[in-house]
Amino acid sequence: MSASHGVGIEIRNVNLSYGANHILKDVSLSILPGEFFAFLGPSGCGKTTLLRLIAGFNQADSGDVLLDGQDISRLPPWRRDVGMVFQSYALWPHMTVARNVAFGLEERRLGRTEITEKVSAALALVGLSAFADRYPSQLSGGQQQRVALARTIAVEPKVLLLDEPLSNLDAKMRVQVRRELRDLQQRLGLTTIFVTHDQEEANSICDRIAVLNDGAVQQVGTPMDLYQHPANLFVAGFIGTANILAGHVVATGTERAFQIKDGVSLPLPAGSAAPKDARIVFRPQHATLEPIGTQGLAGTIVHREFLGATVRYGVDIAGSEILVEAAFSSTSSLREVGSPVSVAIDIDRAQLLGT
Amino acid sequence: MATMSDASPAVARRSVVAPGPMALAILIALFLALFLVIPVGTVIYVAFTEKGSGAFTLVNFYDFARTDLFITSFWNSMYVATMTVVLASMFALPLAYLTTRFEFRGSGVVQMLGFIPLIMPPFAGAVAMQLIFGRNGTVNLLLDEWFGFKIPFMEGLNGVIFAQAVHYFPFILINLSAALRNIDRSMEEAAQNLGCQGFRLFRRIVFPLAMPGYVAGASLVFVKVFDDLATPLLLNVKDMLAPQAYLRITSIGLADPMGYVIAVVLIVVSVLAMGASAWVMKGRDYATVQRGGGGLAQRPLGRGQAVAAYAVVGLILFLVLAPHIGLFLLSIATVWSFSPLPDAFTFAHYERVFAESSVFIKNTLLYATLAGIIDVVFGVAIAYLVLRTRLPARHWLDWTASAALAIPGVVLGIGYLRTFFGVKMPDGTSLASFWIIIVLALAIRRLPYALRACYAALQQVSASLEEAAENLGANKQRTVRRIVLPLMMGGMLAGFVTSFATAAVELSATLMLVQSTSDAPLAYGLYVFMQSPAGRGAGAALGIIAVVLVAVCSLISNWIIERNQHLRNTRT
Amino acid sequence: MITRTITTFTLLALAGAFMPVQAQAPSGKVTVLTSFSKDVTDPFKKAFEAAHPGTTIEIQNRNTNAGVKLLEETRSANQVDIFWVSAPDAFEVLKDKKLLQVYKPKATGIPDKIGAYPINDPDGYYSGFAASGYGIMWNERYARANKLPDPKEWQDLAKAVYFDHVSIAAPSRSGTTHLTLETILQGEGWEKGWRTIKEWSGNLRNVTERSFGVPDAVNSGQVGYGIVIDFFAFSAQGAGFPVKFVYPSVTTIVPANVGVVTNPPNKAGAEAFVEFLLSPAGQEVLLDKTIRRLPVRPEIYAKAPADYPNPFKDPSLGGKVTFDSNVSSARTAVVDTLYDQLVTFQLDGLKSATKAIHAAEAALAKKDNPAGRKLVAEARDLVAKMPITAEQAASAEINAAFSGGKQKTARQAELEQQWASSAKAAYAEAEAKANEAAKLAR
Repeated sequence: MSASHGVGIEIRNVNLSYGANHILKDVSLSILPGEFFAFLGPSGCGKTTLLRLIAGFNQADSGDVLLDGQDISRLPPWRRDVGMVFQSYALWPHMTVARNVAFGLEERRLGRTEITEKVSAALALVGLSAFADRYPSQLSGGQQQRVALARTIAVEPKVLLLDEPLSNLDAKMRVQVRRELRDLQQRLGLTTIFVTHDQEEANSICDRIAVLNDGAVQQVGTPMDLYQHPANLFVAGFIGTANILAGHVVATGTERAFQIKDGVSLPLPAGSAAPKDARIVFRPQHATLEPIGTQGLAGTIVHREFLGATVRYGVDIAGSEILVEAAFSSTSSLREVGSPVSVAIDIDRAQLLGT
Repeated sequence: MATMSDASPAVARRSVVAPGPMALAILIALFLALFLVIPVGTVIYVAFTEKGSGAFTLVNFYDFARTDLFITSFWNSMYVATMTVVLASMFALPLAYLTTRFEFRGSGVVQMLGFIPLIMPPFAGAVAMQLIFGRNGTVNLLLDEWFGFKIPFMEGLNGVIFAQAVHYFPFILINLSAALRNIDRSMEEAAQNLGCQGFRLFRRIVFPLAMPGYVAGASLVFVKVFDDLATPLLLNVKDMLAPQAYLRITSIGLADPMGYVIAVVLIVVSVLAMGASAWVMKGRDYATVQRGGGGLAQRPLGRGQAVAAYAVVGLILFLVLAPHIGLFLLSIATVWSFSPLPDAFTFAHYERVFAESSVFIKNTLLYATLAGIIDVVFGVAIAYLVLRTRLPARHWLDWTASAALAIPGVVLGIGYLRTFFGVKMPDGTSLASFWIIIVLALAIRRLPYALRACYAALQQVSASLEEAAENLGANKQRTVRRIVLPLMMGGMLAGFVTSFATAAVELSATLMLVQSTSDAPLAYGLYVFMQSPAGRGAGAALGIIAVVLVAVCSLISNWIIERNQHLRNTRT
Repeated sequence: MITRTITTFTLLALAGAFMPVQAQAPSGKVTVLTSFSKDVTDPFKKAFEAAHPGTTIEIQNRNTNAGVKLLEETRSANQVDIFWVSAPDAFEVLKDKKLLQVYKPKATGIPDKIGAYPINDPDGYYSGFAASGYGIMWNERYARANKLPDPKEWQDLAKAVYFDHVSIAAPSRSGTTHLTLETILQGEGWEKGWRTIKEWSGNLRNVTERSFGVPDAVNSGQVGYGIVIDFFAFSAQGAGFPVKFVYPSVTTIVPANVGVVTNPPNKAGAEAFVEFLLSPAGQEVLLDKTIRRLPVRPEIYAKAPADYPNPFKDPSLGGKVTFDSNVSSARTAVVDTLYDQLVTFQLDGLKSATKAIHAAEAALAKKDNPAGRKLVAEARDLVAKMPITAEQAASAEINAAFSGGKQKTARQAELEQQWASSAKAAYAEAEAKANEAAKLAR
């Protein structure tokens, strides 16, 4: 299987409604050739609908889909040449593994020997050469997943669409398979779109991510971009764990502070422009627990979770709970639930976002 | 905690072989022995006896194999049964596919009309088809007048194939539609995604996946046609096996064993056919609605496609409903002789039937309802024993009950007379003259239908649902009553409808067993009417009443099924 | 309608209750096993129940053979009082099996014979109540559309014009057809009779399994001509169908009969029913337009419509043949089986042979050729050839194969296979000869 040169995908102002339900709202995206791209969002956000739209199973009310610069909006699914791996794998139970993989090649009217060669190559690629004559029901979930993948890449599609490909696997398999997916994609250089609701999956293997919510694209960027600079509260809350505190900015002379409540406020660095009503967003690891009375926000520890390398504390500050993560060294350094603490926030790493 | 969870499976396992299911199995076995095995045995053992001495012999089977007529008949029956499956598939496939996998307006109506041909009273179907498609029927008289040629629809074996396909194709339609509805849309989409579409998509993916349903329906059609005697006889085709058996068994002064030999051959071939279909489909009962699947896909039809689809559906519906159209015309005709349409119309036949035959209607409703209930009760019980217990020999109950499909009605009727005539009731009359015997004969004849429906329904109830109930403290009986039965309700009603509808128009067994007109069902009344020129219209009217009656009852049941499923769907 | 019947019935029942009880007064349910249709049985049921208040007639409808079978199967606990069908043969079978009991009707004024046939069983097991003759029925619209002439004799149906236009019920299934064949065999003799039968059988469109299948097909115009018992045609005319009927000269007028079944549950009722059928009131019911049978009381014909056939006045009706029911019953099964094996199940072969003969004769009529004539005659002989003689047909050995007797004889299936294969070969040879004859005439 030779590495093909990936092609780009352009989605332009796509709208789609089912009756009164506006599923996709003016979605525009540009996916680069050879990129491993993710659609990330909670269930019902429209990510699968968008993927099926690219595959041709859904029709947009308006807008276009361009593949390698060509408009494919009006092509039926069987003429689009985009490979899709279904969430359920959709392996045909009446065909053996080899027959499943050969199917698309047969539809392309390839010669018998060529089909045999490509089927063995595809199965070798996913490490299932020994299972060619089995039926899908005789395989484990991970093996079925790989058959589905082999079936799709055997036809050498222009792009690869993966619809929650890891959701039917157990936790350990998930980590293994996602790494294999990434390796394979790198080797083939195949433009790939990966639909998931699991940010960890998306973060770990994708070049770029589009976060979707309520039918609209919230933000597009690399995983680190999204983590460090969420464009809005939704992205901030959805990617990683974030503390979000409501309040407003008060200015006393040149000093500015973010006031959460009367008497509870955080000083802000100079020059940071922010709307009056805002949310302050920071990650748990960007706050530290200090002895009570030192600088910071005073509160009480209300719960404690042991996560292995770190310990996560929940601290009640004036009625809001803030999560703080501290490295775990020994049991003696642990703080007890109920003890008063002061929370120091690394304000340079915090971000102010409008409501 | 640990000890408790260890102990409970052991308790459960012990209760599987517990007295409850055992007693149930024995009860069913007794019922089947008394009302199926013994009566049929008393008739067909003659096939294995030597003339004169009565000793056991197989010489009669040697005679069978040596007689050209029987061998011709055997192959004719094979040919007719096979070709009927082919033609019935041609009727059923487009109807099933278009109404389940596409956005097809009126698919409910099509599915309902597609069921109607099963409800065809004896005699009426062939008589009406002759009037429409016969050598001098409506179609051929018009063809001859307009174009100067005729099409021999109803001649010889091909006529039998046509009439049987029209009558029995709903078995394929029903099973195939159910199977098609169970195919997850991702199965089709994956194929489309790989470049497959149109008829290739149907041939390579959709049809193979619907195969279990198709084979179930097709094998039923094969066996029914192979064993059916009425349609060939009414079309004057005698060189087929079932008609040969009937002619021999019912002819005067003929005590020779060949009729029973043929009956044995019929039973063996039917059981083999059912067995073969089960074997072919073993392990292929694909549960294709999968985790994370997309459910049922109904694709829209383009304008041109829609026109073609409606034309095909319309033509098929015309063909398969032609007997009913003809029967209706006959029921309101004065005289209909050598003309495309009757000479004049009248409602006198209906007046006559309502004045004279209300007792037939009442009896039919009573018998068919009771038979349907018996069938569903035994169907559920057998299905439960086979699927949910590990009783030894439980499959025999299933196989024995299913074998009833292959017993010609007339063999069963004679068997009942032989077995029960000597049994006296308290008031001195014979048990065989008690109308309950007719109900039992109908129930035994229709049990295979209800059994298959109940079996399928129970298969779809996940065992984990039962385990959940048991885990929460319900015992076996309460689990069955509160969880299993409610979830099987749709399948049970479907089984009831099939049994009820077909029992309501059954004649072959009842004709032997009706001992007095006041106990007679509608099919018998129709038979009596159809024996005279002036009674043809009245017989047709009675036939139409039967069809309407059964159709209405089926519709009501169907409505209940759908409401039930709707409620369940909205609840979850 | 229902209400009126019930009211009358109640009044009659009440009246009966106040009358002094007579010793032999019939009452209760009288069970009648019959092959007659509802159109026939209903008027009799009404009339009888009106004449004998307190009785009800319970009709059990079966075809003749199924009726005999039922009586056989249920003899241990018989529940039938009356056996009431057309075919005298069925009564002979029942008589042999001791399933009928002797009853000599008290009714007077009924002649001993109708045509050449005795009306009642000499041993008194059954009595004739109506007469019927056999003949040819046809659909006028069909005949007109196909430009076919009206037939008069059995032999007419053998003409080439009628090819594929005739229908008959299998004699093994229809007691009346059996009698038709037996009448021809007795009228023309075994060999010549079978020749006639096979000649018109070669023109058959089909052989039906039910007696009523034939008139039904003629009525609806699916077939043009049918060999039927007269009342099928008369009642069809009565119902308005465009059909005609003719008695050929070799026909016999035979009585339709009624008999009391052995050990009847209601003996008084059974006897009253027989008496009623033979009484003037009962005989008059026969003229009903849906029944149309010939009464056995000559005086009833005065009340009949003008064109009603009267066997007591018209000597041509059934006068030619003296039907011997002993001869008939001695070979019933053999004759029926012969017809089934030589005609019913070999119809395709017989028809192609007949068609070839017709074609050859048509060709010879245009251009004569003595060798061709000879070949056609040979072909006809081959078609007419019988596997057994009249003596063999009546012999004990052959009949034992059909009786299910206790002796070890030839099995029925063996004989059938022999007969069928000889017929098949003969028909094939006849067809070849006829084709050759047609070639010679070309």
